[in-house]
Amino acid sequence: MSKVVVIPCSGMGKVYGLLAREAANKVVNELKKDEAETKCLAYIVTGDDEIRDYMNGKKCITIDGCPKMCAAKNAREAGAEVVEELKSTDFAKQMRAMKPGTATYLNEEGWQVVDAIAEKITTIIDEMEGK
Amino acid sequence: MDKKTAILPCNGLDKCAGCVSREIAIKLQEEKNAEIICPVLFRVADARYNKVASENELIVIDGCNTRCATKLASEKNLKVSRKINVTEASKQYGIEIQSKLQIGENEKKLIDMILEDILKKDDSNGENSSILFPKVLDYEIYKKDKFIFRLPKEGFYFNENDVWVYVQGNLARIGVTDYVQQSLSDIMFFTPPIVGSEVEQFDEVGAIESGKAVFEVISPVSGKVIRVNEALLSNPEYINENPFEKGWIAEIELKDFESDKMLLLEFDEYFEKMKRKVDEFHV
Repeated sequence: MSKVVVIPCSGMGKVYGLLAREAANKVVNELKKDEAETKCLAYIVTGDDEIRDYMNGKKCITIDGCPKMCAAKNAREAGAEVVEELKSTDFAKQMRAMKPGTATYLNEEGWQVVDAIAEKITTIIDEMEGK
Repeated sequence: MDKKTAILPCNGLDKCAGCVSREIAIKLQEEKNAEIICPVLFRVADARYNKVASENELIVIDGCNTRCATKLASEKNLKVSRKINVTEASKQYGIEIQSKLQIGENEKKLIDMILEDILKKDDSNGENSSILFPKVLDYEIYKKDKFIFRLPKEGFYFNENDVWVYVQGNLARIGVTDYVQQSLSDIMFFTPPIVGSEVEQFDEVGAIESGKAVFEVISPVSGKVIRVNEALLSNPEYINENPFEKGWIAEIELKDFESDKMLLLEFDEYFEKMKRKVDEFHV
């Protein structure tokens, strides 16, 4: 099975974008190095043939930071099969993490949200692999 | 920054250079109240950012050479006041960045240096930006009897008229190659181009003269001349001493380098061409 592509929102300058980004990094760098990878959303939205060819038919998990759902919409637009659309805001709400940090730095509360998102993604990947 | 600044970073995630690009943008936002434009949202729903991007001084930061942010600015016809390419900057500063997606010590150092440069330019109260030229160049050398031909291996482009250009963002520095200075022998006069003048690619952009001949410097790029090497007015021999470093001719604010580049040669092609030229004419 080819690697699952984990695509976080590119939300700039907002803490919910940072939560999504850090969670994706944690999955592809630590928890599921061999099973997951990430691709640059800013590149995907350019419509460049190379990245569209790469994304076409790929299984993706997206993590968005706001209701605009840029990651999910654009991954799908590029031809990917989005198996799960996550929202970092949902995790923050569930955990009552109302002040997870700033756009630059996450506090302890923020890192807990990151861990929860990363754990959810790991579970999804395990399920996809039939574990 | 008296004028409000907008930053359009690439925000790349799958390369460390993209992470560096984002960090620079966020630090500028925090320290200078600059406004960040999200490249993804700008592309899919530009109403949110059109005013910010067009009415403010715009800094574009690319992580890698895919240059998504630059292309986006170009598609939206935005006037860019400054372009930064993190991959190129890391080479210029001699700081190697890692392949991991984390900001380590080297990346922090690079971020600080780029920020310092941006803020330094900002303090110059609107004077033209100056190019960050590498402190040390790595040369390839070709010798044929007494004729020694040196050529920097990286970062330079050349035209068929033996003029080089070094590009950084939307700025370029130009000069003549070793072949010109050796062929002319002792250079005695330098006629600079006019600062502020607009030049097209292959226009004349100054001249140098030796006892043997006058050489018209043919611009490898189009744009506006923003600075000349005034040291050459009193010391034209700097071109003989090192035409790639202290003997540079002028700096140009580029108009459309992507288009100009199509008619320029890179190191390998130019070096081979010059080797043949030296073999044929300097026997």
